[in-house]
Amino acid sequence: MKTRDLVLIALFAALVAVLGLAPPIMLGFIPVPITLQSMGAMLAGSILGAKRGALALLLFVLLVAAGLPVLSGGRGGLAILAGPTGGFILGWILAAWVTGYLAERAIREGQGDFARIAALFGACAAGGIITLYAVGMPWVAAVAGTPLSAVAYGSLAFIPGDLLKALAAALAARAVLAGYPLLTPRAP
Amino acid sequence: MMSTPITTGQGWLHRQRAGTKLAALAILGVILFLVHSLDVLVAALVIAAAILAHVSGGLTPALRLARPALISVLLFFAINLLVLPVPEAVAVFLRVTVLVLAAAIVTATTQLAEIVAVIDRLARPFERMGLMQRGDAGLAVGLCLRLIPDIRAQYSELVDAHRARGLKVRPWTIMAPLAIRVLMRADAIADAIDARGLRP
Repeated sequence: MKTRDLVLIALFAALVAVLGLAPPIMLGFIPVPITLQSMGAMLAGSILGAKRGALALLLFVLLVAAGLPVLSGGRGGLAILAGPTGGFILGWILAAWVTGYLAERAIREGQGDFARIAALFGACAAGGIITLYAVGMPWVAAVAGTPLSAVAYGSLAFIPGDLLKALAAALAARAVLAGYPLLTPRAP
Repeated sequence: MMSTPITTGQGWLHRQRAGTKLAALAILGVILFLVHSLDVLVAALVIAAAILAHVSGGLTPALRLARPALISVLLFFAINLLVLPVPEAVAVFLRVTVLVLAAAIVTATTQLAEIVAVIDRLARPFERMGLMQRGDAGLAVGLCLRLIPDIRAQYSELVDAHRARGLKVRPWTIMAPLAIRVLMRADAIADAIDARGLRP
């Protein structure tokens, strides 16, 4: 691992922590406030790629485990990870990896603007929504004992906000790809 | 800016090694899921709550440590009462609460530096496999903590820039400039680390 990769991992772990300090944003047209922090896995994956993105989120989760109040709302500590929603935090590591794996393969040279945003949005949604819920919901069912169907039903309320976050992360990743590329687009 | 729940107590639990406490927590997690007796679980809950109140210096600080996790535990308890048989819902509630309190005890009695040392030890096998260099894990943790205030300042600047233009802060307007600003510093920081010979 190059020093620059190590720095990128630390920078993004710190960025995810800062997104937790920022107050949640109310958009008006969705009932639940948007916490920017939950975009962290999508951003790290789509900007840094699979390996560095997953390591950035691993570093962030280690800070949570170490007891630092870096989760949104000043939460932190092992209790949160051991609790019912711990899977949605541990799942960020895999979510970042999947987002990065797909983003690395989806972006191509000479891709139009719309196609590139769509490709990045797909990667963010598959990693940051589908993968995350695939880890988080069974975790709730296992720890809290709530039947998976009830958990899945309750999770639906968060999907509109999640799709919006995936789009925002895709737009940010596209801007970074244009201004400060870290991933190499594949030959068409 | 950031307050850490670090205690400087000198009790028996404070003196135990961080790795031992983390291993004990993991074992407790497995054992708890094998216990079905409500009597045993209630006893475990009382003991865990007493220990947490003792190590964090009173009920109020103990509650502050465990509250975020307890809120989600209570939420799912309420849902479980509707969808599960009551004794089972109560057993699950007690089990998870004990686990959450035990985890809060470990956090309350372990200093950040000790946990970083555990992280560094866990990274050893990866160092031997050549995936990372000796001390990289600790360096990454230290670097990250050092960068949080800087990135927070950059975030505030962008919020101010939005306000100056009369714009509302939206995820799609703030994330791209924030990510680019954060990344632009990477090369300078990497050069600074290499110039100091921290990673030979």
